[in-house]
Amino acid sequence: MTILGKGAAGTGKWVDDRLGSSNFVRRSLNKVFPDHWSFMLGEIALYSFIILLLTGTYITLFFDASMREVVYNGSYVPLKGVTMSEAYASTLNISFDVRGGLLMRQIHHWAALLFLASIVVHLMRVFFTGAYRKPREINWVIGTLLLVTGILEGFAGYSLPDDLLSGTGLRIASGITQSIPVVGTWAGFLLFGGEFPGTAIVGRLYAVHILLIPLLILGLITFHMMMIWYQKHTDFPGPGRTEDNVVGSRMYPVYAAKAGGFFFLVFAVLALLGGLAQINPIWLYGPYDASQVSAGSQPDWYMGFLDGSTRLMPNWEIHAFSHTIPINVMLPTVVLPGILFTGLGMWPWIEQWITKDKGYHNLLDRPRDKPMRTALGAMSISFYVMLLIAGGNDIIASIFSISVQTITHTLRAAIFIVPPLVYFATKRFCLGLQHADHELVHHGIESGTIRRLPSGEFIEETVGLPVPYQITLTGVEPSERPALHAGESPEGPGYGDKQLVTVHDGDPVLEAPRRPRGFFRDKTISRKEPVRPEATMPPLESSGKPRSQ
Amino acid sequence: MTDTPKDSIRDRLKSPADTGDANAGGDSRGSDVTDASFQQTDSRAELAAHGRDERQHGSASAPVPHAASHLRHEDLSEAAARAAERKVAALFLLSVLGVVGFVVTYFVVPFKYAESPDNRWFTPLLAVFMALALGGIGAGAVKWAKTLMVDEEAVQERHGFASEADERDATGQAIMAGFEQSGLPRRKLLRNTLLLGAGSLALLPLPLLLDLGPYPHKERALRRTAWKKGVRLVRRNGTPIRLGDLALGSLETVYPDVPGGIHMADAPTMLIRMQPDELIPRKGREDWSVEGHIAYSVICTHLGCPVKLYEQQTHHLFCPCHQSTFDAANGAKVVFGPAARSLPQLAISVDADGYFVAQGDFPEPVGPSFWERNSS
Repeated sequence: MTILGKGAAGTGKWVDDRLGSSNFVRRSLNKVFPDHWSFMLGEIALYSFIILLLTGTYITLFFDASMREVVYNGSYVPLKGVTMSEAYASTLNISFDVRGGLLMRQIHHWAALLFLASIVVHLMRVFFTGAYRKPREINWVIGTLLLVTGILEGFAGYSLPDDLLSGTGLRIASGITQSIPVVGTWAGFLLFGGEFPGTAIVGRLYAVHILLIPLLILGLITFHMMMIWYQKHTDFPGPGRTEDNVVGSRMYPVYAAKAGGFFFLVFAVLALLGGLAQINPIWLYGPYDASQVSAGSQPDWYMGFLDGSTRLMPNWEIHAFSHTIPINVMLPTVVLPGILFTGLGMWPWIEQWITKDKGYHNLLDRPRDKPMRTALGAMSISFYVMLLIAGGNDIIASIFSISVQTITHTLRAAIFIVPPLVYFATKRFCLGLQHADHELVHHGIESGTIRRLPSGEFIEETVGLPVPYQITLTGVEPSERPALHAGESPEGPGYGDKQLVTVHDGDPVLEAPRRPRGFFRDKTISRKEPVRPEATMPPLESSGKPRSQ
Repeated sequence: MTDTPKDSIRDRLKSPADTGDANAGGDSRGSDVTDASFQQTDSRAELAAHGRDERQHGSASAPVPHAASHLRHEDLSEAAARAAERKVAALFLLSVLGVVGFVVTYFVVPFKYAESPDNRWFTPLLAVFMALALGGIGAGAVKWAKTLMVDEEAVQERHGFASEADERDATGQAIMAGFEQSGLPRRKLLRNTLLLGAGSLALLPLPLLLDLGPYPHKERALRRTAWKKGVRLVRRNGTPIRLGDLALGSLETVYPDVPGGIHMADAPTMLIRMQPDELIPRKGREDWSVEGHIAYSVICTHLGCPVKLYEQQTHHLFCPCHQSTFDAANGAKVVFGPAARSLPQLAISVDADGYFVAQGDFPEPVGPSFWERNSS
């Protein structure tokens, strides 16, 4: 240990002599991160991206992004002697002739799916808890950009092998580009280097996929993380948690160990998926051929909603003044995502405009306490899910033996009917949950004890909620909530038996253990206006018991 | 990072006595107590007292919710801590095992396709050992943090973001002062030429981007295909098709008999044979088909997928991408789905040797719509 200590001290001195970094490092190590399971969703996205970089780099060592025609002569017998592009042949090579190449390729693909899935779920968490409110609107916009660039990156990536499935996807992408009025044909020709398919697109997508968009994503993620670091993470309300503090574990060592360990766990799960769950078996599809397609062709999940909107769209097309405007293509594939993602990015300001709430918010909302927002979110999800279902209408038709026309007609109606119903139902559901909270706060918890009153009446006794739980449920205004500011007396309310540390100006101060924090630990505070805890928090005596370590 | 799962309120309330011995670690904070003993215990006493409203709900004998203790077993007992340490160590060792397994699999298990029937184990084994190697470290670190590292609840103040008003003013003034000092507001010539120069600089990359591909209006590439008068219809393997080769009710994908014809993305065509009286030719196209043989572009007018799923009885052609459906007997008109236009028809005839040939190119652009397209 002493050798280790001396070494560390020596290194620290060396660095500090040159950078004067001691204060910064100490403040960073002592930075407090709040703890909640839902905060790890964004972490999954970050870790998936790192895994994408690692596995992707390995694949580039063997991939040849060329559309030059070659005759396949690798190990995979069924395709021997088939003329195909170099891109497809090298992908076959990675899958069959590079030792461990298939594993890396499949981890890469699974990680891409997980990257976007975790972004979407993280986005939902941020939305439903109102984490995007002032001062975090910028990070919401960055997150939206990350979602869009992630989708583009995924599409560019799975288009690279030049197999039948991805080639069909590119054919559709080319048609979508062409559908844009005035500039579409030009854009398509410049993108593909001529008429589809040309010989340029795979090489160009490769540059986009391994350089352009990854750099963009890396930059956006860096900015995203810096903003979290600087503005500090939001936290669910709870006893001792105010708009002015962060309660949790420090960066070093606990948070670093948990987060670092979690990275490896995410990687382990992806490794298992990559080796045990086949994904994108391009050798079964064959090389791209404009006259071939498989029934039941499906894009990666994150493109599914666009496929669905395209399938649901009626066949409207405008022919006027010697020009064609394909509404049937442009509306569901260009206009719709444009509106969706623009609206998503602008949501914090839309909400501010509706609620007129321009205040700072560091404490999160419980979804039930914002019925309108929660209902809007649920409504949007129902809309998205229906597009996703529409994207798989042929699969559903064949599994359940329903005609694809019936599904399409039903969904065309449902996409206008279901979202409002979901909005209404969710709102009622939220209000009902609020009532349940009122019940709990006003009448306490049923004790199971029946008592007979002298008058002969039977009553069931209830037990009032301990104050911290009342705080958690009812939500006091931050000013009224018992604050636990740094440096304040340790005899604050309702804390667990954890060792308490107040980090002030980067320096931790050890404090006496606090009292139990209670069983609402993972629950959060509702911030309903009418309800207030019936008991306010009087000063408590210190337990005075040192913690057994 | 999740916390350890906790019982629901109701579970805790059901039978407090049952769990009373669970925390026999000598710390009263962890055990369940009745109201009476609550009054004497330290921390939870107040908690409970404040939480109950005697006037409304309580009586002296009512059970009180069990306030959870967060002292870990490992905090209370050195033996438990040592056990936890052993578990973490075992997880770390699992990583070593995983790496060893990974390396052995990598070099020993056959991996090449068809080299050996054992090769099917290569990727799954590699993955399992890789997951052990990664998961051992990961799970170990998390368990270590959760059981043995300091169990603390740290509090840190947030800082406000907005600067003081005079700070903002001073910064704004500094920016404006620099702007003034640069002379830009006064020197109109400087300002205008700078804007002009910077603006034209933005145009610099445009020619580079414009040369990424040929210009569509010069190429007319979207409007024509390799089909010409007299070009034979050939199968994928290059053999021409004679009248009578095609069975009634069948569909054959055909390509123009020109060099590279089978790789052209706009040329694939399907030749369909049905009863001649089932065909309803479009006006002016009565001689475009031969004895019930009719040819349409394979490329969907919606987004360009090959429309080749042919339903013999109804003569419907189905696109697997977006389910546009065309009636092959009736000019390939759209009967369902998002496609707006019929599939372009290829006029065919039979040459002197009895082989199918095209009468010319498609009468309209093949494939998805585009802005400059002018027919409907």
